[in-house]
Amino acid sequence: MANNKLKIALAGNPNSGKTTLFNALTGSEQYVGNWPGVTVEKKDGILAGHKDVVIQDLPGIYSLSPYSLEEKVSRRFLVEEGPDAILNIVDGTNIERNLFFSTQLAELGLPMVMAVNMMDVVRKNGDKIDFDRIAKALRCEVVGISALRNEGGREAAEKAVEMAKKTVVERGPGKLPDVPHVFSGSVEHAIAHIEESIQGKVPARSIRWYAIKIFERDREIINRLDIGVGEMKHIEEHIRDCEKELGDDAESIITNQRYEFIDRLMDKSLALNEKRKGKATLSDRIDKIVTHRILALPIFILSLCAMWFLAVAENGPGTLLTDWANDGFLADGWHLPFTTHECREEGTYKGMEFEDAQGEFAKAEATVAAWEAGEKKASIEDEETGEVSEEWDIDEAAYKAAKELEEPDPSKFGVWVPGIGALITGALEKGGVGDTVKSLVVDGAWGGVATVLGFVPVIFIVFLFLAFLEDCGYMARVAFIMDRLLRRFGLSGKSFIPMLVGKGCGVPAVMAARAIENERARRMTVILATFVPCGAKTVIIAMFAALFFREQWYVAALMDVVGIAIIIFGGIALKKTRFFAGEASSFVLELPAYHMPTVSGIWHHTWNRLKGYILKAGLIIFPACVFLWFVMHFDWSLNLLADEEIEKSILRDIGSWIAWFFEPLGFGSWQGAAASVSAEIAKEQATATLGLVAANMDGATTGSHIQALFGSVSEFPKLAALSFMLFNLFVPPCMVAIAVTFREMGSQKWGWFAVAFQLFVGYVLALSAYRLGVLFAGGGFGVWTALALALDAFCLWAIFRPARKELA
Amino acid sequence: MTLDAMKEGERARIVRVTGEEAVKRHLGALGFVAGTVIRVAGASYGNLILAVHESRVAVNDATARSIEVEAV
Repeated sequence: MANNKLKIALAGNPNSGKTTLFNALTGSEQYVGNWPGVTVEKKDGILAGHKDVVIQDLPGIYSLSPYSLEEKVSRRFLVEEGPDAILNIVDGTNIERNLFFSTQLAELGLPMVMAVNMMDVVRKNGDKIDFDRIAKALRCEVVGISALRNEGGREAAEKAVEMAKKTVVERGPGKLPDVPHVFSGSVEHAIAHIEESIQGKVPARSIRWYAIKIFERDREIINRLDIGVGEMKHIEEHIRDCEKELGDDAESIITNQRYEFIDRLMDKSLALNEKRKGKATLSDRIDKIVTHRILALPIFILSLCAMWFLAVAENGPGTLLTDWANDGFLADGWHLPFTTHECREEGTYKGMEFEDAQGEFAKAEATVAAWEAGEKKASIEDEETGEVSEEWDIDEAAYKAAKELEEPDPSKFGVWVPGIGALITGALEKGGVGDTVKSLVVDGAWGGVATVLGFVPVIFIVFLFLAFLEDCGYMARVAFIMDRLLRRFGLSGKSFIPMLVGKGCGVPAVMAARAIENERARRMTVILATFVPCGAKTVIIAMFAALFFREQWYVAALMDVVGIAIIIFGGIALKKTRFFAGEASSFVLELPAYHMPTVSGIWHHTWNRLKGYILKAGLIIFPACVFLWFVMHFDWSLNLLADEEIEKSILRDIGSWIAWFFEPLGFGSWQGAAASVSAEIAKEQATATLGLVAANMDGATTGSHIQALFGSVSEFPKLAALSFMLFNLFVPPCMVAIAVTFREMGSQKWGWFAVAFQLFVGYVLALSAYRLGVLFAGGGFGVWTALALALDAFCLWAIFRPARKELA
Repeated sequence: MTLDAMKEGERARIVRVTGEEAVKRHLGALGFVAGTVIRVAGASYGNLILAVHESRVAVNDATARSIEVEAV
């Protein structure tokens, strides 16, 4: 953003209503990104009605000490870049705790307006706050607001703008800002000495803030300033004197005295309603049930089931919306729901519903196929189960009639809305473009876009549900409830949220890991979250379950179990390595008061995340899909190939080059390799690619082609299919998720570690399933069987070896 | 005594916070400093929900053991 704009930093504790105020002040003009070099979200917005003022939303934090990444980022921004003013939002119902942060902000010496939020609740509670006294004590302006009711926020922001402008005029060089002095005599004395020693080395206006940080022995600050050894020794003496006198360490002295200062201030400026004191609030009563020893888990599981039903259950809203998007809206078109779909045109189908007409046509096709094969009976098989659902006699007359029947045109039934894919095809045909261009645009480019958009319904529902759980306050309780369990696998209570999101899509799952403070737990969550089979992987599971495991009904559910098992045992094994050793023993989390979320709050939350997903996925999947289309539809001389000519394509050669890698897994053919490669672009591509690469196999349908394909590569096609499925479900996720993993890890080294771990898990799983399966099926013992057993032994050792002894 | 010995509904004054520097710092920012009176608002398998000032903070058993308190 341009530098000539006035910058107002919006700072405050988590749950103080900061996001609500930010949305109200900036409306739709928001720019969400990351702070440079780190994975902390950065939000900028133009103050509505002030084109020249930028509101910069800092992460919600409790202090300017370097506890978390958020705190480090915020303080670096505040002291180094220096906004023109600070708008400090404070929760009026919990003002003592909130003022702890405010006193630190005031010491930065920047113009500051304190917006005391939730004044509607404060008034309802019957509490009184003396703004003038607080303003005088902290040397800032104080105004009461209610962000939720859109009261006073704008005035507070405008006051900050006014102060920023005035300060630029008033404060000449050398004139220092007036900052509050909150500490006792000896501490103030030491701080004055430190200020003297660092003069000229730090920005003059924030000198007091720096001096206090040095008193606290803040390593990050001391290392950055160039203070002489002798000088530092002198400073250290002053600090020691204070510590001796007050009998505590320097950092605790500062923290304690801050709270003492606030206590004294509150004695005079806060009048709490006596009747309310110490009473259990509504939130306390809800927590009695929600975090109850016995009820907590069932309640949580119930809320999970609700999300699962909404997002991915068969015939749930998520699935229906996805089908509509993929088959209708983005593809050929769709019938308007809740209307009749009767045929309007004269002919065989007149008056028929579309579904019945389709059935009629399917029968006609079956009749034609059977008659031409010389049979006297025709039948229809269920696509998924293969059962014969209908059988009838045929004769020549029936054959002729069937041969003449035209496929029902959906646009002649009821109200038909053409899909975007159909519209594009139509427009291109009208424009008279060549086949190559048409294929490029429709199959390549639009195919790529549609792949990204096809997942939007599921992800939208998951995000919406999460936004609701977060905004109402339940999510913090989930972290609290799950912490006991997940800690055993080296994870944190907050790791559960990414895994939940992972059921929908791995990309937002990896991003959701940000909320975890503990670095080890966060990294491990990033590595493990994508083992939960996502929406795209469900497509693979569904296809293989239908084609190969009709009698093994449990295979589909088993894949979820395998995913969870990998997370548990993978977590245990990783925790024992030196990369993740060490006890994440503490858990501290504020539980915000429950409240009814607002529609606009949830909408902002959901939309910001959804937008992030669409942009991220679009940027990577789109070119990748175009590339995939290219290698599938062209040979090396760049001739456009028909679908049946895939044997001549570039993809075939690429597949042949790497087929050896899949040989031990039982599907070492160019087709298996090509499908696995395309699965890395987007997992559900594996099914489409398999259909295409198997097109020249024996059989009448795509399904039988694929069955024949696995029959051709292995004597045990079922085992090879299982191996293929396991491999593609549990190796590294699609390339978008991998890219996000690298970014969230913040380092190449950790990114590669994650990918290597995931590849190892997927490969060992597929290898073991196939080779041990073959062994039990009587296929003999070979060198690969030995390798599989050796790797399994290694995994068991990694999981069950004794934990490293920790040094205290 | 330390906080883990307290039962639901009991109040106590903090005497000292021990343990890892970073966690101690975070607890301090949340209001867990010597002299502050806190109340156990809820307890489940050794994990506690504490009322400090006007907020509720969840801690696990290990963290509870690092907070020394006295009865009020």
